[in-house]
Amino acid sequence: MRRFILALVAVTALAAGAREAAAHHSFAPFNLEAEKTISGTIKKFDWTNPHTWIWVDVAGNGGKVETWGIEGMSPNYLGRRGWSKNSLKPGDKVSIVIRPMRDGSPGGMFVRATLADGRELRQSGQAVD
Amino acid sequence: MRATLSSLLTLVAAVIAVMLAGRPADAQTAAKTPPPATADWTALAKLPDFTGVWEIAPGGGRGRGAAPQGPSLTPAAAAKRKELQSLGREDNQTANCVPPGMPGIMGQPYPMEFLLTPGKVTIVIEAYTQVRHIYTDGRPLPEDPDLKFHGTSVGRWEGNALVVDTIGFSPLTELVANVPHGDKMRIRERFTLTGPDTMSIETTVTDPDVLSAPYTTARTLQRHRSWTIAEYVCQENNRNFVDEKGKAGIRLDDPTGKSGK
Repeated sequence: MRRFILALVAVTALAAGAREAAAHHSFAPFNLEAEKTISGTIKKFDWTNPHTWIWVDVAGNGGKVETWGIEGMSPNYLGRRGWSKNSLKPGDKVSIVIRPMRDGSPGGMFVRATLADGRELRQSGQAVD
Repeated sequence: MRATLSSLLTLVAAVIAVMLAGRPADAQTAAKTPPPATADWTALAKLPDFTGVWEIAPGGGRGRGAAPQGPSLTPAAAAKRKELQSLGREDNQTANCVPPGMPGIMGQPYPMEFLLTPGKVTIVIEAYTQVRHIYTDGRPLPEDPDLKFHGTSVGRWEGNALVVDTIGFSPLTELVANVPHGDKMRIRERFTLTGPDTMSIETTVTDPDVLSAPYTTARTLQRHRSWTIAEYVCQENNRNFVDEKGKAGIRLDDPTGKSGK
């Protein structure tokens, strides 16, 4: 039962998050059914409107590095939920769960991130005063 | 020399004419809005305290209509909606940073600040950096307003409620998704404090060409005393877009090289 309630909370939070993000644009470019984890090094973190963008260097086959772009909620929205422009820094080792781009290009929508020190970043949650 | 003097005199006459032409308009404006007196500022303290930064409360009904199925449409508007839906557009112009206008701008996941000054309520909306100007000085709504994203608004205080009527909306805005509004759309909003830091907004849209019944939605706002309105310049780093066919996309590259990867 407890697991069910937790799952319900998670689904509700996801739905709420989805609705929030929809304020600026639709999810059409992302595959919401799919989930992909990418691991690499933060190249740059754009703390910008209307969306934050996390640029991650990911080592591919044969040592070729590819830069992925991950779209997150706005700094206004995230700033009221515990994030700051310093939440991710160039050089940080990170593992990020995304909803990948439908067209297969190296990008996606942010779901959650885990840093080398175990710190986890999420976008959902109540705004704090 | 004579020619130079003549053109100089012509120039002086032209400048004086322009200055005089400006005067009657100034005088008229001044007559319509006298400067606020001390009593006008004092009177504000007796009004419900709407000041501060508000955001739609969790579960506060963002975008949720009183009627779960949405607005009741006239047959023509229903046909139009079906036609627009069949185009399969993936997004609307907000992806290109065009603000939604009324009524959509009041349902954003961003805060807004209410400012009360004599004869006016101003709503500073964080999303898309928008402002609504609501005149409460008793002026009537214009008979033939210019068409604006937020229309033209006048308000009045009814007990503890601020009642706002708005008309004259830009054809670039929609009533709801895939429902373009008609020329005669009218929006009435009733803002009421329901607690120390809660406000309800009841919004009723009427539109004889589009709606077969008034469309009413209700929302609850929460005041956040410690918040300030943040900057939101949508063009700062917008990588989303929708093309003329309604296809949505994302730019992962940045031709300017300024803010991209």
